[in-house]
Amino acid sequence: MKVTNLRTYFFTRRGVVKAVDGVSFELKRGECLCLVGESGCGKTVTALSLLRLVDSPPGKIVTGEVRYDHLDLITCPEEELRRVRGKEIAMIFQDSQSALNPVFTIGDQITEQIKLHLGSEEKETRRQAISLMTEVGMPDAERTMDYYPHQLSGGMKQRVMIAMSLSCDPKILIADEPTTAVDVTIKAQIIDIFRNLKAKRQMSLIFITHDLSVVAEIGDRAIVMYAGKPCETGTVAEILRHPRHPYTIGLINCLPDASVTTTRLTSIPGTPPDPIDLPPGCLFQSRCSQAMPVCVEKEPLETIVSERHTVICHLYRGEP
Amino acid sequence: MGKTWLRDYIIKRLIYAVIIAFGIMTVTFILIRVGPSSPADKYLANLAATGQDVSQVVAAIEARYGLDKPIYQQYVDYIANLVQGDWGWSFSTSMPVMQLIKTHWIYSFQLIFLSTIFATVVGILIGIYSAVRQYSKTDYIATFFSFIGISIPNFWLGVMLILVFSVKLGLFKTYYDTTLPLFSLANLKALILPVVTLGTGMLAGYTRYTRSAMLDNLRKEFVRTARAKGLPERTVIGKHVFRNALLPIITIIMFDLGSIVFGGAYLTEIVFGIPGLGQISFNAIFANDYPVVVAITLIGTFIVLMVNLVTDITYTYLDPRIRYD
Amino acid sequence: MDKLVSKIGKNRNLVLVLAISLLSLVGVLDIFLVDKIFAPIVYFYIAFGIVLLLYGVYPLYTNRRLTRYYLDRTKRNRLAIFGLAFILFLILMAVIGPFFTLDPTAVNFEEKDLPPLGFTIEQSVYDAETGKLVRVSVPSTIEHPLGTDNKGRDMLAMLVSGARVSLQVGLLATLIALILGTVIGVLSAYLGGWADNILMRFTDIMMTFPFFLLLVFVIFIFGPNLAIIVLVIGLTGWTGAARLIRSEALSLRTREFVLASKALGASDSRLIFAHLIPNVISLVIVMATLSIPGVILAEAALSFIGLGDPTVPSWGTVLKAGQQTLDTAWWVAVEPGLMLFLTVLAFNFLGDGLRDAFDPKSGL
Repeated sequence: MKVTNLRTYFFTRRGVVKAVDGVSFELKRGECLCLVGESGCGKTVTALSLLRLVDSPPGKIVTGEVRYDHLDLITCPEEELRRVRGKEIAMIFQDSQSALNPVFTIGDQITEQIKLHLGSEEKETRRQAISLMTEVGMPDAERTMDYYPHQLSGGMKQRVMIAMSLSCDPKILIADEPTTAVDVTIKAQIIDIFRNLKAKRQMSLIFITHDLSVVAEIGDRAIVMYAGKPCETGTVAEILRHPRHPYTIGLINCLPDASVTTTRLTSIPGTPPDPIDLPPGCLFQSRCSQAMPVCVEKEPLETIVSERHTVICHLYRGEP
Repeated sequence: MGKTWLRDYIIKRLIYAVIIAFGIMTVTFILIRVGPSSPADKYLANLAATGQDVSQVVAAIEARYGLDKPIYQQYVDYIANLVQGDWGWSFSTSMPVMQLIKTHWIYSFQLIFLSTIFATVVGILIGIYSAVRQYSKTDYIATFFSFIGISIPNFWLGVMLILVFSVKLGLFKTYYDTTLPLFSLANLKALILPVVTLGTGMLAGYTRYTRSAMLDNLRKEFVRTARAKGLPERTVIGKHVFRNALLPIITIIMFDLGSIVFGGAYLTEIVFGIPGLGQISFNAIFANDYPVVVAITLIGTFIVLMVNLVTDITYTYLDPRIRYD
Repeated sequence: MDKLVSKIGKNRNLVLVLAISLLSLVGVLDIFLVDKIFAPIVYFYIAFGIVLLLYGVYPLYTNRRLTRYYLDRTKRNRLAIFGLAFILFLILMAVIGPFFTLDPTAVNFEEKDLPPLGFTIEQSVYDAETGKLVRVSVPSTIEHPLGTDNKGRDMLAMLVSGARVSLQVGLLATLIALILGTVIGVLSAYLGGWADNILMRFTDIMMTFPFFLLLVFVIFIFGPNLAIIVLVIGLTGWTGAARLIRSEALSLRTREFVLASKALGASDSRLIFAHLIPNVISLVIVMATLSIPGVILAEAALSFIGLGDPTVPSWGTVLKAGQQTLDTAWWVAVEPGLMLFLTVLAFNFLGDGLRDAFDPKSGL
């Protein structure tokens, strides 16, 4: 998949919210790309835009191209998009409780997708669903098929979502904060599931999170976003070991270090800007410890730091 | 878990319904006794008006109605009679009340049945469309008309329809003929205006409920999941959203039946001269035929009771969240 | 001036008791000693007005920010404003109308079946000279701007009379129903336990009776008298209010601010008056506005069937007469129904608007 200059704006009564403002990336087969950032920085909207799932009255994909398999998902006709959704590119949402339909059984919801895209028979789809659930580590998958969402725990619901998304063997899986709403023990299990999936199925992952530790465990490449714009992109190893953008550095510093005893946790001072009333220049400058006069006036441009590592910041202007 | 919970619930509700039924009969009894004139008085007034000798009749009535017995005895007899199906004698039509009801209930039923189908189908369809195309012109028109439909007095609507169609335009002039079969063409034609009259008020309400229930659910997260699965839009709306909206819609429709529909049907029958239970009650009021009025009030209430019971059980059965709690 | 107002406001309850006593005294004197200067109902209106002032207007006056907030939200809904305007017009019509219109019960066969202004109708009139029925063109007259019915009664006068009846019934019956419903609802929620159980079973029983059937039944028993009609509508229509108020009160009971208040040691009655009631008030206002049309329609329906008060022309009775003369005098059926329709519509618009205004979640 290749995304070029994606911009999604929300046109509300009080003003225009530039939720995603110029995101571009390339996703290779079997690669895991992480979208990292605080809440509200636009990562979820980016993911939704890829499949044109943004609520269309207030939101609109203003420009951008999402190239997948000779199609541009932003402009392609409805039927093509529907063929891709669920079958080639699947998405898992953050809140598994509200993302599942409360009046249908788990079995119904998983097999629905299989029947739609693969057209298999009743018994076959059921068998497939059960094997999928087992694959994601669901205990007693057969019985769970007839349960309703509210009867399952958070972790189980999450697994159901994952199973559902895998049902048609998609090439790309977009996961929106799958580990956020879950407690720590389950979190580790879910990360394991994803790791296995990546290995076994050669599936590409777009993983959205604000948790850098997760990024470290599962990501190959990452994009750090802030207020709708990308700040820094590169391999996970590079970004974590040699972060360049002040925001990235700040994020990494926020991670508590178990080996050091401190009395206070570090945080990045200030709050994100009001999305309707964006200041000129670099959006991060009000919280940046290394802000320069030029940061207030002009928006920074992309600078290539090394192979597959770019940064968008005035500090690095001019570096080769 | 297993299936016994449903059976237990049904039994529980049935017992409760029986208690309410007794409560209903008791309240009715109290109202009758508290009233300034007893059933007998009204009958006697009728008789006296025709100049007959009253004294013997008084004795007979007292014996039959047990008016000389103490109140609690009267109450017990009353309940016993009702339960056994003896609902009294209709003075004005010279037949047992039960028989009167048996011959006429079908016409009310037909009217209500047809109106409900009309209102439900049209109402739900418009409601869904209105919700999906919110803020479109169709939505505004539909909402506006539903406001009108709710506010218009249904007996006036009936009279206006008669005025426009029967009087001015000369259409739909047939009257309901009980000698013809129930679903004969002539009778169905005669039912068009009444069904529209009764149905409009219901329809307006149903459109609003459907629209709001659908809107509530259209915002929910699982809709996005359904789309992400690649489901065609009409499946997303028609299956996922609608199925969630269906429960509250059905509940409201069935509960409305008691409060609004019966009153509306009563008036519609009178306006159009349909020989249903409302018409019978109306005639009985002006003939001072007490037992009939009582009986029809009771029947209406019992039907509402049953509808509530059925709705309750159906709702519990349909909503998985309540089921497996 | 402000000082006086705030003094009265703070001692509201005392002022209310004083005012009611004074009114009752004057009322009793009026009835028994002097020769009935005011109809008894006027005293009631005055009392109601005082209650409204003390408990409705005063809190709004002191809480100006909140009031302005609600007002702003209501103003945005144009339909609600139309509704309110129509209702005010109706009230005006009801109050000063009788002074300007003819006697609604005056029968005048000379002037029967006159069409309303702007219409001319053809009628078959008996020509005394030729002894035959002749078709004559009958124009409308300015004296009877809305026409007359088949007994020569002035339509406008009857509509005004009907407006008075509808408003009075609407206001009084709704008041009775709401008070009864609120009392039962609050009691039930507050007492809990078996009292709650019994009250709710009783409410269930009464709720099962179809409203109109019950109405007809009770009027049949007790007779078609306006006062009785008002009373009966009120005494049969409280069930919805009771249910709603009880559930609202119950939910309030467990809400944080009540618990916090209790934790601070607030007494029970303080809880009720300071917390429960103000939160329920907005619900009550919306319910009132939405119940009044139902009541008005109920009274009209009763009159239409013939169970209305025969001495007072109400919209329902006129409509009933109109049904007989659809072919000769269609306006007799159209006009009262139109008034009914517009009135109900107005209250529905207003009620809807108020409900949206009071609901913090409706994102106006």
